[in-house]
Amino acid sequence: MALEREYKKEGSVMQIQHFSVNDGDGIRTTVFLAGCPLHCIWCCNPENAGCLDAEHRMTVDEVVGIVAKESIFFRNGHGGVTFSGGEATWQQGYLRALTEQLYDRGYSLSIETCGSFDFAGVSDILEKMDLIFFDLKHMDPRFHRLFTGADNAAILDNLKKVSGLGVRLVVRIPVIVGVNAYEENILKTCEFIAANAPAASLELLPYHRFGADKYVKLGLPGPDERYEELRVELAPGIAAERMDIPSDEMLEHFYDIAAAHGIGRISFK
Amino acid sequence: MLTERIEKIRQSYVNNKPSISTDRARIWTESHKRTEGQPVCIRRAKAFYDTCAELPVHIFEGELIVGAIGEFRRCGILTPEFSWKWVDKEMDTFSDRAQDPYVITPEQREFVRREIFPYWKDKSLEEAFLARLPEETAKIGVDTGILDNDSKWRQSVGEITPDYQDVLFPLGFGGIIKKCESKKALLSPANAADQEKIEFYDSVIITSRGIILYANRYANAAEELAKAETDETRRSELLAIAENCRRVPENPPETFYEAIQFVWFTQIGGILTENPLSLNPGRFDQYMDPFYERDLALGIISEAKAEELIDALWLKYSEWVWTISANTADYFAGYNQFQNLTVGGKTREGLDGTNPVTFMALKATEEVKTHQPGLSVRIHQDCPEEFLAAVTELVSRGTGFPAIHSDSAGYQMLLNAGYEPDDARDWNNCGCVVPHYRKTGEWTAAVNMNFGSAIEYALNEGKSLMTGKEMGLKEKPASAFASYEEVEEAFFKQFKNLCYHSIVLTTTAQRVHVDMVPRPFLSSCMEACLEDGVDLSRGGAKYNVGPVITGIGLGVCANSLAAVKKLVFDDKVCTMGELAAALKANWEGYEELRAKAQAAPKYGNDIDYVDRIAIKIANTFYHEIHGYKDIFGSPFSTAFMGISNYIPMGRVLGATPCGRKNGEPSTEGVSPYVGTDTSTPLAAMRSAAKLNQEIHSGGTLLNLRLNHDLVATKRGQANLGSLIQSYFALGAFHVQFNTLSSKVLRAAQERPDDYRDLLVRVAGYSTQFVNLSKSLQDAIIARTEHAEF
Repeated sequence: MALEREYKKEGSVMQIQHFSVNDGDGIRTTVFLAGCPLHCIWCCNPENAGCLDAEHRMTVDEVVGIVAKESIFFRNGHGGVTFSGGEATWQQGYLRALTEQLYDRGYSLSIETCGSFDFAGVSDILEKMDLIFFDLKHMDPRFHRLFTGADNAAILDNLKKVSGLGVRLVVRIPVIVGVNAYEENILKTCEFIAANAPAASLELLPYHRFGADKYVKLGLPGPDERYEELRVELAPGIAAERMDIPSDEMLEHFYDIAAAHGIGRISFK
Repeated sequence: MLTERIEKIRQSYVNNKPSISTDRARIWTESHKRTEGQPVCIRRAKAFYDTCAELPVHIFEGELIVGAIGEFRRCGILTPEFSWKWVDKEMDTFSDRAQDPYVITPEQREFVRREIFPYWKDKSLEEAFLARLPEETAKIGVDTGILDNDSKWRQSVGEITPDYQDVLFPLGFGGIIKKCESKKALLSPANAADQEKIEFYDSVIITSRGIILYANRYANAAEELAKAETDETRRSELLAIAENCRRVPENPPETFYEAIQFVWFTQIGGILTENPLSLNPGRFDQYMDPFYERDLALGIISEAKAEELIDALWLKYSEWVWTISANTADYFAGYNQFQNLTVGGKTREGLDGTNPVTFMALKATEEVKTHQPGLSVRIHQDCPEEFLAAVTELVSRGTGFPAIHSDSAGYQMLLNAGYEPDDARDWNNCGCVVPHYRKTGEWTAAVNMNFGSAIEYALNEGKSLMTGKEMGLKEKPASAFASYEEVEEAFFKQFKNLCYHSIVLTTTAQRVHVDMVPRPFLSSCMEACLEDGVDLSRGGAKYNVGPVITGIGLGVCANSLAAVKKLVFDDKVCTMGELAAALKANWEGYEELRAKAQAAPKYGNDIDYVDRIAIKIANTFYHEIHGYKDIFGSPFSTAFMGISNYIPMGRVLGATPCGRKNGEPSTEGVSPYVGTDTSTPLAAMRSAAKLNQEIHSGGTLLNLRLNHDLVATKRGQANLGSLIQSYFALGAFHVQFNTLSSKVLRAAQERPDDYRDLLVRVAGYSTQFVNLSKSLQDAIIARTEHAEF
C-alpha cells in the first residue's frame, strides 16, 4: 500500500540566509526550519524551539518566492538551496512541499540533518537532494543520550539507509573537545562509516561559540553551564574544563584516521 | 618570483617620496620664448622637440626599459602652460601636504618663480579659462567641491589610448612622418582650409622627429655606459638597450622587447607633452601577444624573461608621478596617473581573447605590487575558467586589483554611445572604469557633480547648510512642502541647475583647449587624426564621444529622499520643518529623529522603496545631461565613477536626511552609503544592477569589501567568480573588491613603515594605503565588510 504523503502549505521558518557559501556547492540560500528532536547542549540555534510560534509562519509560496529571487546567483557554480534547522525533516509535510516546488524549478538542493527521523516517511524527500549532510555526534549511545537527549541507534540505522539512496553524502562531525574529540570515538565513527556508508566523505566541523550570546538573550543556561552539570558523568580521559575548540593538529589527526579507513575528506570552507 | 633586479627597483619605488623635476618646464618655457607668433600647434610641437633634444638622459641602475622624464626615479614634472598659479600657491607645502606630497627643493622653487612662472603669467590655460567662465558658474564651479572640473583646466586632458594596433606598431614614428609628408603633398597652402591641415601635419612631423631623437639619445648614452661597464652581463644588457632605442619607436617593433620599449617611449612622449591623466596602455595582451608568441617560437625569449620585462614596465608606469594640485589630489588620491591597462575579453571578431600575456599581466600585478598600471579585466559569460580563477585569486590577495568589468556591458555602453559593433567589441578601459576605445577623443572625467548639494539646496532655501551662502536656485522654506512629490520636484529643480553649470564648465574648458593646447604628439597616435589632418583637440579622432559628467552621491540622495518620504509623509513621525531644523542643527539635539532616519530604507539592500528613487535620479541624470551637446555636437555622457571624489564632496555637504552629518563622506559610484548595505553583497549588487547601468556610457562603479576568509580558499575564489558572473548577468558593468581585514588596515594606519607596499582599492583604482590621507584611510576602513555566514 502506498504511503500517504503529507503536504503542508505553511510552516515555521527560523531564518532565510542568502549568500550562504559553506553548506553545499556555489552560492546558496539556506532555509532554517524550526523544530528539532534532539537537544544538543552546544546547539548554536537555541532560539529554534521558540520559532514554532505564529510569528515565524511562512507559506511555501512565500519561501519559494524569496528563493526564486536569488536564483540568478545559483546559476554559476552549482549554487542552490540548503535546508537546515533545527532539524529540517521535523516539519516533514512542509519540507516535502518546499522540496518538490524547488526541485521542479531545477535548483540544486542540499539538506543538513541530525539523522533523527522516520526514514520511510522522508526518503522521497531525501531522494530529491543533490547533497545530504548527515551529522554523527557520538558513537557511544550513553554519551549521545547525555549530550543530545536521545539514543543514537536510529540515527546510525538511518545513515545506512540514506547511504543506500545513492545521493551524494557528507558525514559531518561537530568536533568538540570534552565531548567527542577523542581517538576512540573518531575511530569507531570511521569504522561505522566505512562499513555502512562507504561512498560518504567526511567533513569535520570544529566547535565554535557563536551561539553563546543567544542563550543569554533567551535567559537559558548556556552550553558551558550545562556542560558543567554533565561532565561528572564522563570518564576522566574525555572530560575537559569546558567544551573547547579542537586544535588544527587534532583535526588533521582525525582526518588521517578517516583516510586510513578509506574515507575521503571534504571541506566547504 | 621577482628577479633580484626587479625587487631592487621595487624597493626604491616603495620607499622613495616622489620628487619634482623642473627640467621639462625649463626647456618647454625657453622654447616658447623662441616661437612667439607661430601657430600654436607648431609652438607646442617645437617645445616637445626641444624637450626631447635637451632633456638630460637618465638610465638608472639595473634598468631594462629606459626613458626618464627627469633626474629622479620617482619623478613628477611641471606643465606651467596649463597652470602655474596653483604650483606657485602650493609648492611651498608640497612636501608636507596630507595627500600626495612631493619633494621640491628651495632652489627649485626659487628657480621656477624667477625663470618660469613670469613667462606664463596671463598665458596659461587656467587663466584663460577663468577669464572666460561666466561669473554665476564660477561661483559654484571653481574650488567649491560642488561642481569640480579643475583637472580640466589646471591640467591637460589626457584620457587617450594610443593606437598600437593600427598606427604605432605598423608604422613606427618614422612611418608616421612619411604618412604626414605624403598627406601634406596633396594639400595646397593656397587653400585656406588646407593651411590648418598643413600646420597639423608639420606639428606631427616635428613631434615624431622629437621622440625618435629622444630614443637615439638613449641609444648613445647606453653605448657610452656599455663602454665603461666592467660587468659583462650588464654590458650586454646596455648594448641590447642601445639596439632597441636605435630601432624603436622610429620603426615598427620586431621583438617583444622592442615592442615593450616602444610602449614606454610612447608613454614618455605623452607625459612630456602634457603630463596627462589616463594615458591608457589599453589592450596590452592583445597587441603584445603576437610578439611574445613569435619570440617564443624563435627561441629568443623565455617566459621568465618576458615576465621580467613586464614587471619592469609596471615599475616604469608607477615611477612617474602625476603632479597635481592639492584639490585635484583630493579627488584623484594616491599618486595615481590612471594608466589603465585592460586584459582579457572578446576580440574584435567576437572570440575569446585571453592569451599567455593576459596571465602574465595578472601575475606581474600580483608580484610587483605597483599601483600602476590600473589593471582591468573584461569578463564574458563564456570566458575561460582559468582566467576567472586567476582573476579571483588576484582579488584574494587584497590589492583591489584587478578592476573587474563585464565584457558585454562595456560593449553595450559603447554601442549606445554610437560606436560600430566591431569597435565596440574591441573596447578597453580609460582611467578607472570608463569603457573606451583607442580611436576615441573624449573627456571621460569632465566634471564631478555633487548630487547631495541638490538635496541641501532643496531643503534649505537654495543655501549651503554649512556656510549659509546662496549657491542654488531660490526655494521656499522646507516647512512649506506639502507632499513628497513637491520635495522631489524641488530636488530635481536644483539638480538640473547643477547639470546646467556642469555643461557650462565643460564647454568653456573645451573651447580654451581648442585655442590653446593642440596635441600633436597624441594626435600622432590616432588613426583618424593622421588620415584627416585634424588635431585631437579639434575633434580629429574617429569617435568624438561627449564629455562625461560624473555623479557623486547617488546613494546619499536616494537614502535622503527615501527618509523624507518615510519619516515625514508615510509614517508622519516629524514635519518637514522639524526635519529641516534637525539638518540645520547637524542632528544635534535630534538624536531620536536621527535614529529613525538611519533606520529608514537604505539603497544597497534590494529594497524597492528606496531603489526606485535611485533609479529615478540616475535616469533623470542621464536624460538631462544627454540633452546637452558639446562643442563638437556630441551629446554629453553620464557616469557613476568613483575616484576619491566622495570624500571632498562630502566635506562641503551639510547634514542630509539619511542621517549623515555635516562633512561626512558622500557615496561613490553606484556603491551604497558606507555601512548601510547590511544585508548581503548579493543585495548590494541587486540594488546597483537596477540602475540601467548600460545607459551611463561613462562607466559605473561598485566597490565592495569582502571578509578575507571568504576568498582564502580556491573554493571561496570560485564562489567569488560565480558572484561576479551573476552580477554581470544582471546587467552590471563593474565591481571591485577589497578583501583586507579591518585589522590589517588599522595596523597599517598605526605602523605605516611596516606596510609601505600594502595596496588597497580606493575607488576605480588601487594605490598604496599609506599614501592616503588619514580621512581617506578611515573612509576605506569604514566600508561595510561582508562577512561569511
